[in-house]
Amino acid sequence: MNNDSTLKALLVVGLTALFCSVVVTTTAVTLQPIQRAYQDLERNRVLVGIAGLADSAAALSDREVVSLFQELDARVVNLDTGAYDDSVSADNLDGAASATDPDASVAIPPDQDIATIGRRARRVAIYVVPRADGIERMILPVYGQGMWSTLYGFIALDADLNTIVGITFYEQAETAGIGDQILRADWQAEWTGKKLYDAEGTLRFRVSNQAVDPQSPEADYHVDAISGATVTTDAVSNLVAYWLGEHGFQPFIDSLRERTDDDVQSP
Amino acid sequence: MSKARDALLNPIVNENPITLQVLGICSALAITNSLRSALVMSLALTSVLAFSNMAISLIRRHLPDSVRIIVQMTVITTGVIVVDQILKSYAPDTARTLSVFIGLIVTNCIVLGRAEAFATKHGVGMSFLDGIGNGLGYSVVLIVVAIIRELLGTGGLIGQPILPLAEEGGWFQPNLMFLLPPSAFFIIGFLIWGVRSWKTAQVETPDYRPLTRAETGAD
Ligand SMILES: Cc1cc2nc3c(=O)[nH]c(=O)nc-3n(C[C@H](O)[C@H](O)[C@H](O)COP(=O)(O)O)c2cc1C
Repeated sequence: MNNDSTLKALLVVGLTALFCSVVVTTTAVTLQPIQRAYQDLERNRVLVGIAGLADSAAALSDREVVSLFQELDARVVNLDTGAYDDSVSADNLDGAASATDPDASVAIPPDQDIATIGRRARRVAIYVVPRADGIERMILPVYGQGMWSTLYGFIALDADLNTIVGITFYEQAETAGIGDQILRADWQAEWTGKKLYDAEGTLRFRVSNQAVDPQSPEADYHVDAISGATVTTDAVSNLVAYWLGEHGFQPFIDSLRERTDDDVQSP
Repeated sequence: MSKARDALLNPIVNENPITLQVLGICSALAITNSLRSALVMSLALTSVLAFSNMAISLIRRHLPDSVRIIVQMTVITTGVIVVDQILKSYAPDTARTLSVFIGLIVTNCIVLGRAEAFATKHGVGMSFLDGIGNGLGYSVVLIVVAIIRELLGTGGLIGQPILPLAEEGGWFQPNLMFLLPPSAFFIIGFLIWGVRSWKTAQVETPDYRPLTRAETGAD
């Protein structure tokens, strides 16, 4: 057949594409379990770091990450009822799969979908740093759409479930040097001690590029955006607002806080 | 047999893709601040090059001119994705430091250059050797630059201390400039100068020379 005929060109392109896609798919599918395991390890490394179990999570060996992870109390929360759900173990909950599975997830009403994620799982795993008389920290998974990628992270709350201990991300693909500044330790450190809810229980916390007087009460609920990366930092603000808001963990947090308030009032 | 040897060994010094053809400079500047990255990058590029040369040589007689480059790019991209996946699975830390540079092998001129210039015109065996040879040529430069940069920039190699550091009572003061990309630019420049002083045949004829006074017609 003539090499330069249209038919031949289509044939060669078609066969090359077919062959190459088979090679790529086979590699991706066979190697996926290994890559998944490493991703989980990195996620757990970030998790034990924000749980305060290690001074420098990056310096931990893989073995140390695994054993520190065991010290955390993993619980499942049903976001629809706002209560713990002990019918399923956190280890058996596949977060990524249940976020898209039509049975295990719910569509987020568009007006509430500020994190632009479409659906969210009904049940999610959270992590508690236990203390003899209750909890030391609670770590909630959060994610949302950034400028180019989905930002996956954790936010850690103090025992009062209102004070932020820290935020961190374990998976993102924002522009290096611009959007990925959300990983900067000095920026993340600004979150420590900020409050989520005001006295009425409304979510007030925001990341914004509006100047806020550090003496004003507003400063307690405010973290400065990273200049030059407003798009990504707005996304971080939105994902926190979604996950700690009415459609996210707020009913759960409210119910826990009521319980502890009652405990205090009726000893 | 000597032709096979030429295909394999010539690209190492005589026809080195970096120092003679000045191709593939981008990644050579970016990832040579540590020897480990340079080694992994060398291995990655050499594998992609050998694979793509072989695959393209295999179909060379059936390549329609009109879609030649597209088909070659598809084959090269496949090789790069496979290598990237393997690195992510077996060397995740290094894969993270190399980040986009593995993906960017797709646009490394050496790979498409060898496919076009060699694999479309030679047999499978020779194309494979040419791929390995050019990969080695690239690797030699990367490794030399990385050794200079990591040793002078940190006083060690692959993270192992070698020179006694001044802050620990030794005499060696690391020069952080060697860890920054511009230093690679200068080192590669010196390498090219060195190779061309040794092998004067590689010196290019100047593109232009200033006119002499007589030629300009000025008096
Ligand atoms: C190639 C390119 C990549 C960018 N990547 C990001 C990014 O990842 N995150 C981000 O917030 N802004 C990124 N920006 C900048 C945004 O377009 C926008 O200008 C910026 O977020 C506005 O911040 P500012 O109001 O503080 O200037 C990028 C811009 C360009 C040209």
